[in-house]
Amino acid sequence: MNRRTLLRHAAQLAAAAALGSLPHRGWSALPRPDGWSASEEALLDAIGDTILPATPGSPGAGSVAIGRFILVMTADCYPPAAAEAVRRLLAEVAKRAQAAGSRLFPELPTAERESLLVALERQPPPARDGVAPWRHVKDLTLLGYFTAEAGATQALRYDPVPGAYRGSVPLRPGDRAWAT
Amino acid sequence: MSSHPTTPGARAHTYDAIVVGSGISGGWAAKELCEAGLRTLVLERGRDVQHLRDYPTALANPWDLPHRGRLPRALAQANPIARKCYAFDEATEHFFAKDAEQPYVQEKPFDWIRGYQVGGKSLIWARQTQRWSHHDFEGPARDGFAEWPITYDELAPWYSHVERFVGISGNRDGVEGLPDGEFLPAWEMNDAERAMAGRIEGAFPGRRVVQGRCAHLTEARPEHLAQGRGKCQSRNLCYRGCPFGGYFSSNSSTLPWAARTGNLTIRPGSVVESILHDDATGRASGVRVIDAATKAVTEYFAKVIFVNAACLNTNLILLNSKSRRYPAGLGNDHGLLGRHVAFHNYRGSLNASLEGFADSYYSGRRPTQPMMPNFRNVTRQETDFQRGYMVFFSAARRGWTRGQGAPGIGAKYKEELTRPGPWGIYMMMQGETIPRYENHVRLSANQRDPWGIPQLVTSIGYTENDERMIRDFLAQGRAMLEAAGARDIRATDDRRNPGLDIHEMGGARMGRDPRQSLLNRWNQFHTCPNVFVTDGACMASTGVQNPSLTFMALTARAARHAVDELGKGTL
Repeated sequence: MNRRTLLRHAAQLAAAAALGSLPHRGWSALPRPDGWSASEEALLDAIGDTILPATPGSPGAGSVAIGRFILVMTADCYPPAAAEAVRRLLAEVAKRAQAAGSRLFPELPTAERESLLVALERQPPPARDGVAPWRHVKDLTLLGYFTAEAGATQALRYDPVPGAYRGSVPLRPGDRAWAT
Repeated sequence: MSSHPTTPGARAHTYDAIVVGSGISGGWAAKELCEAGLRTLVLERGRDVQHLRDYPTALANPWDLPHRGRLPRALAQANPIARKCYAFDEATEHFFAKDAEQPYVQEKPFDWIRGYQVGGKSLIWARQTQRWSHHDFEGPARDGFAEWPITYDELAPWYSHVERFVGISGNRDGVEGLPDGEFLPAWEMNDAERAMAGRIEGAFPGRRVVQGRCAHLTEARPEHLAQGRGKCQSRNLCYRGCPFGGYFSSNSSTLPWAARTGNLTIRPGSVVESILHDDATGRASGVRVIDAATKAVTEYFAKVIFVNAACLNTNLILLNSKSRRYPAGLGNDHGLLGRHVAFHNYRGSLNASLEGFADSYYSGRRPTQPMMPNFRNVTRQETDFQRGYMVFFSAARRGWTRGQGAPGIGAKYKEELTRPGPWGIYMMMQGETIPRYENHVRLSANQRDPWGIPQLVTSIGYTENDERMIRDFLAQGRAMLEAAGARDIRATDDRRNPGLDIHEMGGARMGRDPRQSLLNRWNQFHTCPNVFVTDGACMASTGVQNPSLTFMALTARAARHAVDELGKGTL
């Protein structure tokens, strides 16, 4: 079998790839898990977009539906205590936003959102049943963003088929890290 | 018990050879027997997995996976054993047997990782392939715990035979304790690893750092292209199955090769219950099979039987093969069947950071890493423990995960995480354990699996020798990392259960003395010579090397012997 035949096989395989229940439009088209509102999801989007905002060359975490990702992961992959931790974090953020300017967190200017989360990171809500609310949401924000297509291909560099391994490559200024 | 088949129905179930299991050694048995012209039936307890067709996640990007590779909680909770395996994730779980499929009794904790499908664990192996040296074959007799009936020189041509077909990358390093083979070009070390290797070799004369040898096609030669396999693309998504055939598996290589002869029949969904012994002829006549789905019982017959069900299942089948002649299991006149099970000691590891090399990076994803051949007790006893260990290490720049648990918010934090991080080092041991009579498997007297077969009881544990070896490795590893210039060195004993190494070996060991072993120098039962065992169950000791290459070489050698003996009419 020559290389072209191999690549054709690979392409056929890609067409045939059946990835469980994943909808055609990807994971962000998965339904929002039961028990969560659109405004709670929007608040998570805003928190995620504050942790990882848009920068030159790549969008922020809010644009990869990070709120939906955090809710789906929390529901599917973590014990019930994690959902409770997310609720406690959202309540804490809402409370601090109110105290800061009697506004909703997503409506605050960027600098205020950042300083609110910096303060919250210094004094986060306590862990309960083994889940730390801030750490849970921040870790999932990083996972969701850097493994999303935009995060992997724009914030990082992604090469699905490198073809070879080179052990010594000069790192030039501005070179981004490999996504995988 | 049954005699040779004479009825028309039985004749339709009769082959020249039966191979139990389609994993890395069963695939080799099938290839060699089919090529020699034997009509061969391969029995596989799991489902069919066809190369290319049945690799559903092979080309998935990270964002294509609903949970980005993480395990959904229900899957994790249902598989407290399988999920411990480092390779078990959202993209690979379909190639691992689930805990509920085949219960067993852990008299002592043992994490039994299984792959039930055509191809077995050859789809999900770690693909590291090193030859044993004469030290590994002679050491157990020197240390008085086992005696190999073969020498390195006898196996060397079979290593070559296997290596050419499989495709093994590596350097010709000239290390006496780790013989060179038939190599494709080696993978490169990165700049940090190359520097570390030089510093370690300089500080510890006699110790060597070589690039790992692995079953990846760094170059596709005509014999590989003829198998339909191409060059490894450095994706390092191997555990999903490789659409390029870049690494060796039964599915990509030996089974389609065997099928091309026209002599191969593969029957998935076939749980082998026992081997049938004909007390009149003193030979095995065939095997009894329970259909995995319908539980219908069938029998198949052949002149020669290869048992390659993977170490513990091979032991289970043999122990369950009871006849008037062998009331305690096939060939088990001395009670040694299921005894002397050993494994590899992976408990010790170290993490560290390495300063410098800020302007150096790499590209592509490499399926192996540098390694150090055993430097303990090689030619004589030197330490307070017996035998030795191999060391693996790798250096890589940390990625975005360094931001998890680290403080930071906003654009500067994000931009920093998009750059390659500082260098981190991971070092681990792969230690030989000594087969002991007490470390054994046996059949449960009262608990049965879903097919009515007695459950396996595992009674396998560590010894003080293993504890001493771990302490030595952690001290030596620290000293070598310090010599290499590493900082922040953290040593860990993860106290993992035996089994998670997935290198279980023994139970039907080879030997010269029929009173001390089950199998002869050709992997035949001393007392039932038309049954061959050539998977991990045959091993009289474990060596420090990743074992699959040795299983393959032993299988090819035994298959040739079986064909020769059939030709002479002695089987």
